[in-house]
Formats: sequence, C-alpha cells, structure tokens
Amino acid sequence: MTRLKMMAVACWALLALVAAGPAGAQDKPSLIVGAVYVGSVNDYGYNRSMKDGLDEMKRNIPGLKLIEAENVPETAEVQRVMEGMIQQGAKLIFATSFGYQQFAFNLAKTHPDVYFEHAGGWMQAPNFGNFFGATQSAWYAMGVAAGKMTKSNTLGFVVGVPIGYALGNVNAFELGARSVNPKAQTHVVVTGGWSDKAKEAAAANALIDQGADVVTMHVDSPATIIQVAESRKVYSIGFQSIEARQLAPKYWITGLGFTWGPFMTDTAKSVIAGTFKPAMVREGLGQMMAIAPFGPAVPADVRQLVTASADKIEKGFNPFTGPITDNTGVVRIPAGESWGGDKMGNFDWYVEGVVGKAK
Amino acid sequence: MNAGLLVGVVAGSIMSGTSLLYATLGEVVGERAGIVNLGLEGIMLIGAASAFAATALTGSAYLGVVAAAFAGAAANLIFAYVVVGRHANQLAAGLSLMFFGIGMSTLIGRPFVGTLITGLPRLALPGLAPGGIGARLLGYDVLVYLALPTALFTWWLIFRTRWGLGLRTVGENAAAAYAAGLRPQRLQYQALVFAGALGGIGGAHLSVALTLTWAEGMTAGRGFIAIALVIFAKWNPLWAIAGALLFGGAEGLQLQLQAIGADVSPFVMNMTPYLLTLLVLIVWGWSRQSVAPAALGRNFVGVE
Repeated sequence: MTRLKMMAVACWALLALVAAGPAGAQDKPSLIVGAVYVGSVNDYGYNRSMKDGLDEMKRNIPGLKLIEAENVPETAEVQRVMEGMIQQGAKLIFATSFGYQQFAFNLAKTHPDVYFEHAGGWMQAPNFGNFFGATQSAWYAMGVAAGKMTKSNTLGFVVGVPIGYALGNVNAFELGARSVNPKAQTHVVVTGGWSDKAKEAAAANALIDQGADVVTMHVDSPATIIQVAESRKVYSIGFQSIEARQLAPKYWITGLGFTWGPFMTDTAKSVIAGTFKPAMVREGLGQMMAIAPFGPAVPADVRQLVTASADKIEKGFNPFTGPITDNTGVVRIPAGESWGGDKMGNFDWYVEGVVGKAK
Repeated sequence: MNAGLLVGVVAGSIMSGTSLLYATLGEVVGERAGIVNLGLEGIMLIGAASAFAATALTGSAYLGVVAAAFAGAAANLIFAYVVVGRHANQLAAGLSLMFFGIGMSTLIGRPFVGTLITGLPRLALPGLAPGGIGARLLGYDVLVYLALPTALFTWWLIFRTRWGLGLRTVGENAAAAYAAGLRPQRLQYQALVFAGALGGIGGAHLSVALTLTWAEGMTAGRGFIAIALVIFAKWNPLWAIAGALLFGGAEGLQLQLQAIGADVSPFVMNMTPYLLTLLVLIVWGWSRQSVAPAALGRNFVGVE
C-alpha cells in the first residue's frame, strides 16, 4: 500500500512539474503561427519557398512563435496535425499544400477564433482566406530568357501533372519565347507525378536527346532536372524556389521563385491587430513572385530584355491577350479578348509553337 | 527514325533498367527459396535513402552503395525473422515491410533532403566528348557495368552451385530438403539477406547515380514492377535482364515519343510500360505453373 501511495505521489509531482515547466519558463509569444508542409523544407522547391516566407515573417514580427510540421500527407492526418497546433495555442495557420484545403476548412468552422490561410484554393470563410502566386504571366519572362539563349530553337519543358495551371505556365513560356524568337518551339514531356525523380531524370534526358538546349520544369522540386541538364551541359531555368540556382553553377539561366514573406508578415500583423480579412489573393511578379539572379552564361543584353519584360508584366501586361491560336490551328482566345486570373486553371490546350498533346 | 530517339531509348532503357535488374535479381533469389517478398519497394527505398545519406556524409558514392547493400540486407533480415523465424504470413509481412521501408527511408533521408552530392562518376571511354551522343551511349556508372555480371553470377549461384541446388530444393519442397539433410531455414535466411542487399543496391542506383536526389517515395512503384518481372523472367536471372531492359526501354521510348511530339495523349503514354507488363504476363502466364517454385509463399514450420 505504502509503495502504491508513494508511486501516486511521484506521478502527481511529475505531472505538476510537466504542467508548470513550459508555462513558467518563457514569456507569452505575441502570436503563435502553425505551418504544415507536404514535403521537406529543404527541397529547393515549393516547400522551401514556403519556409523562406514564414522565416521572413518570423524575423519581421518580434515575439512570434512558429510551429512547423513537414511531410504531412494530404489526408485526415493534416487535420489532426493542425488540431494539435491549435491545442498548442496557434491562432494563425498556413496550410501550404493544395490538398489541405477541405481539412483546414473543417477546422476553420469548429475553431472560429483561429485564422487560416490556404495556398492555392478558393474556399472562404470569415476566418479562412487563400493566396497564391500568379505564376502564368511570370513564366512569360522565363520564355523571353529561353528564347534568347537557345541555339537549337528547341526548348524542353517537363510537366509533372498536366493540370490547367501547369499548361498555362507552358503556354506563357512559349509565348514569351516566341516574342523574341519566332522559331522557338517548346517540347513538353509529362511524367504523370509531381515527384517521380527517376522519371524526371529520364524525361529531361529525352528532351535533350531530341535537341533541347534549354530545359525547364513544373514539378515539386526542380533539383533532379536541373542537375541532369547541368551534367549534359544544357541550360536550365528553375521554378518554385530561386535558391535552385545553386544546383547549376554553369548552365543556369534564371528561374521563378515564390516570395511569400511580405504577404505572410501582413497576414500575421492583421491577426495580432484583430483586422484579419479573408480574401482570394493572387499576386504575380513584384509581389508573390520574383525572378532569380541570372547565371554567368547570360549576356547583358538578354538580362536587360528579361528584366524589361518582367517590368512590363508587373505593370499589368497580360500575355494571354487575343488573338491566340492553339497548336492545332484553332483560335482559342479571339482578338480583343484576354484571359485573366480566374481562367488560368482552364487550359486544356497548348498555344501554337508548343510540341505536345494536352489531353 | 531519328538518331536521338534510338540513342535515347537504348541509353534510357539501360539507365532505368539497371535499378530494376538488381531488385529483380534479389527477388528471384528469395522466391527460389520459396519466399515472396512484397516489401521490395520498401527495401529499395531504404537502399536509396541510405546510399544518399552515406554519400552525403562521406563524400563517396561508392561507400553509399555499400551502405545501401548493408541497409537493404539488414531490413530484409527483419523480414526473414518474421516469416522464417516466426512463420508469419509472407504477404502480410511483406506489405508491412513495405510500409516500414517507406517510414524508415523517410527517417534516414530527412536530414539530407536538398543536400548536394557528387554521384557515381560516369566512366566514359577516353576521347568521347562529354555531354555528346557517344558519352550518352557509352558512359555509364559502375553499377550499370556490374549489372550484367551480377545477373550472370546470380544465375551461376542458383543453377551451378551446391548452395543453389539446396536453395531450389527448399523452394520446391522444404520438408524434402530437410529430410535430405539440408537446413531450409538457414538457406532462406541467407537467400533473403542476399536479396535485401541487391534490392538496396537497386535503390541506391536511383538516388546516387540516376537522380542525385533523395525524395520520399522516389521508387514510385518500381519495387512492385520488379516483383512482376520475376514472373516474366520465369525465376531465371538471365531472363530478368531482358525484362528489366524491356520495361526500362518502354519507359524511355514513351518519354522520347512525348519529346518528339507524337500525337498520343500523355496519359496513354505514361500507361504504356504498365500495359506492356500486363500484356507480357498474359502472353507468358500460361506456362507459369510449371516453373514457379512449388512451395512459393508457403512457410516451412519444421518437421514433427
């Protein structure tokens, strides 16, 4: 009996210690922010860009505490992970992968005092907004760079999954390339997955075998494809995180990266001030998107041309202004019309000059 | 027919067939001992992650390959204990091993995501311009060059040695093998450790030779394709060479055709290697009964 009692007392003492420890140990943070990632934050790709944005937010706001979870699948698991973050006091949660939307939205309904920002979705509630980069128009500038750098007039584009947004990126890329080089053609290879590395390597090799001397991609992490291009002495253009340039010291042209920091900082500030407003935020170059530094092989006149086209896009130039014909000769956007932000997911065709089949 | 296509398909089938060949050879040895290992995908993942981690830590991709072989063997040893030592159901244990492999590889690989490594060097013939067609056709890493000798060695091991005879006897009828003075369970342990090492090397080729990246789940089903190739190969290491090249070639061809701009849906294109696998299994399937190890999938629980 006495032994049991002693054990019970020991347990209570332990519990008391555990409960008192963290609370007494540090000051109350100004805001606790939760972040869930679908992959690893060191991928030189999408997740890295999110991590960089959140770190910038953390630096900008004193006393902000960041709770992170990597490699969280797009299943009910993410709802449990976010629920755990709310238990730890998170008042703002960034759900950074497309497939998290419904799960984050469920939690937004049951936790009206917690604010959610979802990357890439469309749902909205008083405490639920979403954001993403307007990637398509920015890809036009990448096309300008590729069109000027190619000698074979053959550009290679590896696409993971041919969703409308990805096809829009390809189309803007080709439109940009043609604007400076009417002979430039973009050859597309689809791997069928966002992260099938061996197939990405084989796809990049196939494009290079077919004469492509500039290779770019829309997959989760550009690391494999950029390294293949570098090993075969072929130019590459990156996408997702501008840090990818470290993978190609010689043949890097430039790249597109997301810059989420300012938006994330403003959102956290609005939660602290109690002025959070849900919105569907889509911002392009100059805001949520940035152009990576140029590689050593890019001459000054090309740099100027790319920078100028980026300026043009920042000032509102829309590459998808008619007349635009698809690669089977059908007019898809008539003269006088243009496709804006909400139509970017609707592409199921390629513009003239893209070699490949969309569906 | 353009030259790029031909070169690309040949080089592509060799490059993507290599990891499949190692994994298939491993599975052949295990199944010859009567054990189906559905966890091969997990073994390959552990191999890929261990190779990448060891390469990142030591700077040597060769050490990475060695680490992958040991890690694959160790993981398969666990499987061997479960099915041979504890007589657990092979299919259930294999699937568990796969999920264990997915988790374990994530754990091993996580600190190294995004690390830059120098992969296995391409050993090209002197005088070939780097990056050119010649180097693409005749410049491979050491694992590619060792793949054929490994297949020949495995064939010799199974069909020309006393150990191989014992192995095959165990796979046909473990009780008879026991009665003849063999120790079935010891042979099965040995076979599975060898199989695990080969599966690990197969995974290593993906991470430290082909892609120079570690990403979770990067085998993308190749472990299961290898299991199908064992049936295609009729449990013979020499036929496994043809199987791996055929599958690798189909994948290379569909990517090349996409790059050329063939007028076929990319969704159909990406299905073709799997359709081909199905087709081959249908055509070859009729003679399966006569060549499959008779005791495949059945546990030897000893003799009363």
